[in-house]
Amino acid sequence: MKAYIDTHVPEFLRRKWVLIVGLLVVWFVLGRIFKGVHTLDIGNSEDTPTTEVLGQFAANIRAARAENPIFVYIFNPFRQGIESFVEVIRAVISDPAPGALIPVIGWVGILAFIGFIVFATSNWRTSLLSMVLIFGCGVLGMWTYSMDTLALTIGAVVLSLVIALPIGIWAGLNDRVMKTVRPVLDLAQILPTLVYLAPLALVFLIGIAASTIATMIYSIPIGIRITAHAIRSLQNGPIEAAESMGSTRWQKLTKVQLPMAKRTIILGVNQTTLAALSFVVIAALIGAPGLGEPVLQALSIRNIGDGVTAGLAVVFIAVMLDRSTTAAVVHSNQIPLTGKPLLVRRLSLGAAAIATIVAIMISRQQLWAAVFPESLDFRDPIGNWFDAITEWFTTTFYFLTTSFNEVFTLNILNPIEYLLADAPWYLTIIMISVIAAIIGGRTVAILSAILLLLIVWIGLWNDTMITLTQVLIATTIVMLIGVVLGVAAGRNAKFERILKPFLDAGQTLPAFVYLVPVLALFGPTRFAAIVCGVFYAAPVVVRVVADGVRGVPKEMVEAAIASGSSTTQVVTKVQLPASKKSLLLGANQGLIFVLAVVVIGGLVGAGGLGYLVLQGASKPELQGKGLAAGLAIVLLGIVMDRIAHASARRS
Amino acid sequence: MTTSDSAISVRNLWKVFGPTPNAIVGTPDANLSRPELLEKTGCVAAVNNVSFDVADGEVFVVMGLSGSGKSTLVRCLTRLIEPTSGEVFIEGEDILAASKSRLRELRRTKFSMVFQHFGLLPHRSIIDNIAYSLEVNGVKKDKRHARANEVIELVGLSGYANHYPEQLSGGMQQRVGLARALAVDPEVMFLDEPFSALDPLIRRDMQNEIVRLHDDLNKTMVFITHDLAEAMRIGDRIAIMRDGAIVQVGTPTELVLNPADDYVSDFTNDIPKSHVLRVADIAVPISGGHASSSQPIPHDAIVRSVMHRVMSDPDPISIAKNGEIIGCIGRDELLTVFAEDINEELNA
Ligand SMILES: Nc1ncnc2c1ncn2[C@@H]1O[C@H](COP(=O)(O)OP(=O)(O)OP(=O)(O)O)[C@@H](O)[C@H]1O
Ligand SMILES: [Mg+2]
Repeated sequence: MKAYIDTHVPEFLRRKWVLIVGLLVVWFVLGRIFKGVHTLDIGNSEDTPTTEVLGQFAANIRAARAENPIFVYIFNPFRQGIESFVEVIRAVISDPAPGALIPVIGWVGILAFIGFIVFATSNWRTSLLSMVLIFGCGVLGMWTYSMDTLALTIGAVVLSLVIALPIGIWAGLNDRVMKTVRPVLDLAQILPTLVYLAPLALVFLIGIAASTIATMIYSIPIGIRITAHAIRSLQNGPIEAAESMGSTRWQKLTKVQLPMAKRTIILGVNQTTLAALSFVVIAALIGAPGLGEPVLQALSIRNIGDGVTAGLAVVFIAVMLDRSTTAAVVHSNQIPLTGKPLLVRRLSLGAAAIATIVAIMISRQQLWAAVFPESLDFRDPIGNWFDAITEWFTTTFYFLTTSFNEVFTLNILNPIEYLLADAPWYLTIIMISVIAAIIGGRTVAILSAILLLLIVWIGLWNDTMITLTQVLIATTIVMLIGVVLGVAAGRNAKFERILKPFLDAGQTLPAFVYLVPVLALFGPTRFAAIVCGVFYAAPVVVRVVADGVRGVPKEMVEAAIASGSSTTQVVTKVQLPASKKSLLLGANQGLIFVLAVVVIGGLVGAGGLGYLVLQGASKPELQGKGLAAGLAIVLLGIVMDRIAHASARRS
Repeated sequence: MTTSDSAISVRNLWKVFGPTPNAIVGTPDANLSRPELLEKTGCVAAVNNVSFDVADGEVFVVMGLSGSGKSTLVRCLTRLIEPTSGEVFIEGEDILAASKSRLRELRRTKFSMVFQHFGLLPHRSIIDNIAYSLEVNGVKKDKRHARANEVIELVGLSGYANHYPEQLSGGMQQRVGLARALAVDPEVMFLDEPFSALDPLIRRDMQNEIVRLHDDLNKTMVFITHDLAEAMRIGDRIAIMRDGAIVQVGTPTELVLNPADDYVSDFTNDIPKSHVLRVADIAVPISGGHASSSQPIPHDAIVRSVMHRVMSDPDPISIAKNGEIIGCIGRDELLTVFAEDINEELNA
């Protein structure tokens, strides 16, 4: 009986990838035949019934702000509360009170204060580095912008932690709470940042409050996740011992669990802070003051030099926040000092505190210490220098930038976009669902079909397919890079050490700062958006793949080598298959990261849903369409995430 | 059911892990073997219908293969793990009925536990680890540190008070665990393989310390170990566990002489009988006037220790218990025991 089946279904047809390739060919042929039929393409400012409803809804909300009790008694006070909290921080470090020349503390005082805080929580070396970096922001001519960014980040982080830490601890202690918050955390993880902005701006007005709330929505889930994980991953032994000695629940928490989890919780603070920073920069789109402003301006008028300078300041702040919080993790993990070293530490802390107070007082009285001196401001020369470099690079490497872009666009980007966007919409939905069924199973296929139909109903099918094209291409490139570099790093510790700083940098930097240099090199094109997505997502994927390859049991690899496999065979027949889970996880992460950035690519001419969202944010009459586009991005994200998840589960 | 003179009294204790812990006890499933139960219900009866009594001041040793449920049993006694069913009385008090706060009070003052994997608090210095139970009980700092320093001395760690657990070797950490359990001067101690990480010399010191605590302070102890020699040395009675159930309870001699089954004899075979048996165990009645006229041997002398005297005397030597002659022991009886030991050794 078995033999019968075997002879009648050829081996190769039972392989998934053969089926998929076959489907793609069919899809391509059908797409060519029915080219341009039922593509649901609509004009740029054309509305659909759904977008009209959403537009009306937005208009109603705008009108209701002043009178509706929900706004008057809940949203508006909430907005004012958050705004005044952040404004207090701004008043201290960035925003002079009306009529005043400087904020409460001048630049020298701020520098000293930052140095002191970092010294107190870690060591003098990190403290010095932090001061140099902040000083660097001034040299770049971005002092006030930087302080605004810092103020907003600090405000959002403080508010986020106030919410995230208790919830995270609770979810760490209690399974039921964890089960309740987990779906919310999962959703938050796949939502591209861009989609929060418009709805929040609608409810809380453009400005500091909406920016801070958006930032909190982005960073709170990260804080909760890591805090809960910190509590959950504690060894049980000490906790049980504490219980056996008659601790109350509160004593167990405060004397055992929290101190033991402290290290990981501080790591959570680090991640929350970096997430908040990257969002605060993007929040310039809804009126957040700070470094996002010059970046955004530079993008819109293609002032590369200034944009790169501002981006560099973002990098400085990111590195400063990352280094100082990481050093605090290390510091908190050290065995407490005793004896003479303790005395030395206390004395130097005291001295630093006095120096800081003196610096703050001087910065309030002396002009040179109050306002960052113009003689130290090199914004224009640095900008010009970057402009010159860009000019030289793009002309010298014309073939790399413009030609490569064109060849790529003509031969890869366009054909795939035709396939997805220029074919009848039902053909595309059927094909995607069938492929989802093959790699992820029936449930996912049905879910995908339903969500895609919803997008059709919203009316932004064509734009969604344009975005999907870019996401798929960027993800493929990311996976190629991820597998090559990840395998290399997983196999070779030395290579991994070389790669590590780049990966760290890639994961620390806000996505926004990639936009400017990429725009400079490739102009406002879809290709530029893809490059941004690749840059942003590759580090994560490389890391996940490397971890997976390293996790393959040594004996397995040794057995393969012992039976005479070549290096290629070891990689392709042992290490890659054995780390399949990590590869799929990497692909999933890659997709989500790429999606988040590709939609921001609307800013650099990538079109698609991102462009509609941005347009909706700036033009009231297109707000409905912008909101609808945000919705479509969410639906698309869920479809891709579910397919990737299901295929990971199936393997 | 409880006998008022027993410090610990356990009746029909069960602990079932798995998806349906409450649907096993009292049903026919309860009689299944461990693999069958797992296959059928997905549950493991880590403690399977266990009953025993521990007398006041007794050292009760629990032995058994890895996974036989020793740690689970001892945790159930103080409800670090909630038992599925059964009864536990400690010093006459129904532990399973105790309220949360009563249980805390008992744990702070009456019981203490030493853990197989130490369970030290990594973020606290040694002295603060040891003083922890006093601290949660609200004892002032100088008082609890004074007490902690006493026990630090006792376990031979003076000078390490301000170190942190990670700076200590495994054996030293285990001694901190012991010191911590002693700090509250408990009436009942539960020790889960407390000496497994110690080197032989310190191990012997610690065993002597336990014997001393037992003799001088009359502490009741439940002591888990893998090491039969250790069990013999410190245990008044030994319980052997298999698959969650107690197979046999008895004095070391009883286990050696009358193992209930092969599982128990597998444990006891390692120990030469001459090291465990007491002369009274192998005594024969005095027939006629054959007994030697020399000084009688005390009834609880270990067989091995009288080898020289018995072998060098042509006549059997009488055995005395409380001044009364209860039998005698001669070369034949002695040689039988040694012959068995040699046989065991050759088989092994
Ligand atoms: N929390 C738990 N959940 C499920 N099963 C458990 C749990 N704790 C213990 N078990 C199971 O109960 C059985 C007894 O475990 P226990 O730790 O009591 O053994 P042990 O005799 O102390 O072994 P060892 O000598 O290795 O310490 C084992 O089969 C174990 O798998
Ligand atoms: Mg155990």
